[in-house]
Amino acid sequence: MVEAVKGLLISCDIPMAQFIINLNNSMPNAQKFILEILDDTHMFVQPHMAETIQYRVQEFRDSNTFEKPHGVGN
Amino acid sequence: MKAAGGGGESARPSKKAKKSSGKAKETYDAPPEDLDDDDGEYYEEGGEQEEKIEKKDFTKLELKPDHSNRPLWVCADGHIFLETFSHLYKQAYDFLIAISEPVCRPESMHEYNLTPHSLYAAVSVGLETETIITVLDRLSKTKLHKEIIDFIRDSTLNYGKVKLVLQKNRYFVESPMPEVLQKLLRDDVIARARISAADPNAKDGNSSFHVSKAPLEQGGNDLLGADELAAAAEEKEMHSFEVDPAQVEHVKQRCLPNALNYPMLEEYDFRNDTINADVAMELKPQAQPRPYQEKSLSKMFGNGRARSGIIVLPCGAGKSLVGVSAACRIRKSCLCLATNAVSVDQWAFQFKLWSTIRDDQISRFTSDSKERLRGNVGVVVTTYNMVAFGGKRSEESQKIIEEIQNREWGLLLMDEVHVVPAHMFRKVISITKSHCKLGLTATLVREDEKISDLNFLIGPKLYEANWLDLVKGGFIANVQCAEVWCPMTKEFYAEYLKKENSRKRQGLYVMNPNKFRACEFLIRFHEQQRGDKIIVFSDNLFALRAYAQKLRRPFIDGPTSHHERTRVLQAFKHSTELNTVFLSKVGDNSIDIPEANVLIQISSHAGSRRQEAQRLGRILRAKGKHKDRMAGGSEEFNAFFYTLVSTDTQEMYYSTKRQQFLIDQGYSFKVITSLPPEGSGPELSFYSRADQLDLLTKVLNAGEEAAGVEELEEDVDDITRFRTRRTQGQMSRYSGADGMMYMEYSTGKGRGGKAKARDPNKPRHNLFKKRFV
Repeated sequence: MVEAVKGLLISCDIPMAQFIINLNNSMPNAQKFILEILDDTHMFVQPHMAETIQYRVQEFRDSNTFEKPHGVGN
Repeated sequence: MKAAGGGGESARPSKKAKKSSGKAKETYDAPPEDLDDDDGEYYEEGGEQEEKIEKKDFTKLELKPDHSNRPLWVCADGHIFLETFSHLYKQAYDFLIAISEPVCRPESMHEYNLTPHSLYAAVSVGLETETIITVLDRLSKTKLHKEIIDFIRDSTLNYGKVKLVLQKNRYFVESPMPEVLQKLLRDDVIARARISAADPNAKDGNSSFHVSKAPLEQGGNDLLGADELAAAAEEKEMHSFEVDPAQVEHVKQRCLPNALNYPMLEEYDFRNDTINADVAMELKPQAQPRPYQEKSLSKMFGNGRARSGIIVLPCGAGKSLVGVSAACRIRKSCLCLATNAVSVDQWAFQFKLWSTIRDDQISRFTSDSKERLRGNVGVVVTTYNMVAFGGKRSEESQKIIEEIQNREWGLLLMDEVHVVPAHMFRKVISITKSHCKLGLTATLVREDEKISDLNFLIGPKLYEANWLDLVKGGFIANVQCAEVWCPMTKEFYAEYLKKENSRKRQGLYVMNPNKFRACEFLIRFHEQQRGDKIIVFSDNLFALRAYAQKLRRPFIDGPTSHHERTRVLQAFKHSTELNTVFLSKVGDNSIDIPEANVLIQISSHAGSRRQEAQRLGRILRAKGKHKDRMAGGSEEFNAFFYTLVSTDTQEMYYSTKRQQFLIDQGYSFKVITSLPPEGSGPELSFYSRADQLDLLTKVLNAGEEAAGVEELEEDVDDITRFRTRRTQGQMSRYSGADGMMYMEYSTGKGRGGKAKARDPNKPRHNLFKKRFV
C-alpha cells in the first residue's frame, strides 16, 4: 500500500542543504523535520517548518554579512 | 530624510537635498515631505546614529548665488563634500587635506570630516584660524553655518599658539602672543622650569621675552589665494623664554589639553644648529621627487624649520624617497627605524641609492648585523624591537644602544608607524633624543583605534595623498581588485557547520578544495598566459604549507631564516623559473618585491582593513611604461589583487569588512563567481571526491593548528588583542626546529633529578668540616 505524506520540497544549493541538514540534526528527535533527503540540492520536509527554516537561514546569512557601521569617521 | 542611499552613502543624499531649488547641479530629488519635518535641526556628532541618518536636514543652509563655481558643500556637523569635477578641485583638495580627515574618496565626490585633530594638524602646518574660515567660506556653495565657524574657532583657539623649539641645544617656548606665555608662566611647574637671564620676577611686560623675527611662511602659499595667505603669515614678532632641558617633559605635559590646554608644536631650527655636526649627504641628481612627494616635504619644511609629524602615502608611492629627502634636507645624524631586518636592509639600500652619503657613514643595527657607529655623525638604520628591547643585551649591542641613547639625533625617521604599539613608541621616543620626528605610513587605520595616540607621540598628520589621483598620474599601479567566490564543497561545509568543529572552522574554509582549485587556476593562468609574478598570501600556516607543498612553490613564514628569505626573494626577482611565492603574515609590511604584480589572498587576519591595504601595497609599485599607465594608455589594469573567499562562511563577513578602507580610497571590488571555469577537470588538484575527502581528513586531524594564525612579535596590534586565537604547539616550532630532535646530555651534575638541598641543621661530613666553618 502506498503511503502518502504531505510535505514541502526544498530546493537549494549544496551548502544551504548542508545547513538545513545540520539544523535538523541539532534538533531533539521529536522535532526532526526532514522527511527525506532526495539528493545534494533537494529535500522533503514537514510543511509547518517553512517559516522556521527561512528564519534560521536568514539569521545565519546575516551573521556572515558585514554592514558598514553608520557614523562618523574611522 | 530617509536613509535613501543606504550604507555609507546615506549622508550624501540628505545633504544633496538641502536645497531643492533645482539650481544645484546634480540634486537628488528629495521627496517634498522630507523638507518639511524638523527644519533646521542640527544634530551633534555622537548622537544616536540611527537618529542622525534619518533626521539630517540642511534645508536652512543658504545657497550662494554663484554656487555652481564653488566646489564644496560644508555641513554644520563638520562633514564636507567635495565635487572632484569642479575646476577648483586641485586647490580645494589641497586645502581640505590640510584641514580635515578624508572619510571616503570615490571618483567624483569626496567626503571629509573636520575634527579637532585635523584642525590641530592644520594649525601646525601654519594655517591660521581666520584663514581656514575665509578659505572655507570662499569654497563653499553655502554660507558657513555659525556652528561650524564656532567649532573651528574653539578647536584652533589654543592650538599652535605655543611652540617648543630646540635652538643651539637650548629649549625655547615660543609664541607670537606674549600674553599666552605669561599665562603659561603663571603655572608653577613651567615657572620653575624657566631659565631666565634677566630678572626672574619681571613676569609682566614683554621685555622679559626674547623677541625675534619669524621667517616668512612658505607652506601655505600654494594652497589658494596665495596673496591673502601670505599676507596673513606676514613676518611677525616671536616671543620666547628658555626652559630647562631636564624639565621639558613636564612642561610639555602641563601644556596638554587636560591641563593648560596649549598643546605645543615642536619645530627644529636645523639650519642654525651649530652644535650637531652636519652629515655630508645630498640627494643625487637622478632622485627626482614627484609632485606629491615635493608637496609632502614642503609641508614638513614649511617655514625653514623641520616639523614633526606623519606623512601618509600609499605603498609603492615612494615613501622611502620622502624619508631620504627629509634626511638630506636636515643634514644631521639620522636614526631610521623599520619594522624588521629585511626592511632595515632596504632602507640602508635606499639611503645609498638616493643620497650621496658615504658607505662608512651608514650603519645597520639588527640582531644579525651589528655594525658599530663610525665617526660622530651618520645614519643608523635599526628596528623598533632592537631599540625598545627591554631584556639583557649582548655586550656588543649594549654598546651600540648606549651610543644611540647618548647621541642627539637630528631626525628620527619612523617607517610604518601604524604597526607599532603605543607603549613601544613611548619607549623609543624616551630613549632617543631627537629634534624632529617623521612618521611614514600608508594606512592610518587600526582596528583598535589607537591612531590618535600618534598625534601626540609623533605629531599631526602633515600630508595624505589621494590614491586615485596617484593612479591617474601613473605613479602607482592601476589595480583590478577582485573577490573570488568559492562555494564550499558538501563535505567541508557539513564539517564547518558542526558545533564541535567551531575551532577548526578557519582551517576548513581556507582549505576548501574549490578555493584551492581557484588558486591553482589563477596561478597557472597568470604564470603561463601573462608571464606575471605572483605572491600568494596566507595567514593560516597550515594552509600556507599545504598549498605551497602541493603546488611545489617556496614559502616564507616567521621561522624562515633571514638568509633563506633573501635567497627565495632574490630567486623570485631574477629567475624566470620561479614566478610564484607563498608568504605568511611576514610579507605584509615592508617586504619590497617590485616585480610582483599579481596577488592572491587565500586567508587573512580576520577583518583587518590595514592588512588588506598593506597587502595591496605589495603590488602597487608602478609597472610597465609610464605612458601605458596614464589614463587611456594601452593597459587598463596592470596589477591584479584577488581575494579568495569561501561563500556562506564567516570569511564573507571579514572580507567585506577588510575592503572598507580601500573602498574609501575609491577602489571597487569585482566579484568573480566562476573560478575555476566550468568544465575544468582533473588538471587541477582535488578533482576527485576521494582526494577531497583525503584533504578533509588531514584538515580535521591537524586539529587546532589548522586554525592557527601566526603570531608575530612585531604585530601586536589590531584584533588579536580582542579576539584571542589559541594556537597549540611546541616551543620548537618557533625556533624552526619542528620535527627535529635534540638530545640533552647530562654532564654529571644533578644526575637523577635535582640535587638535594642540604639540611642546615645536620652536621657536615668530616671531610668538609674544615672547609666550611
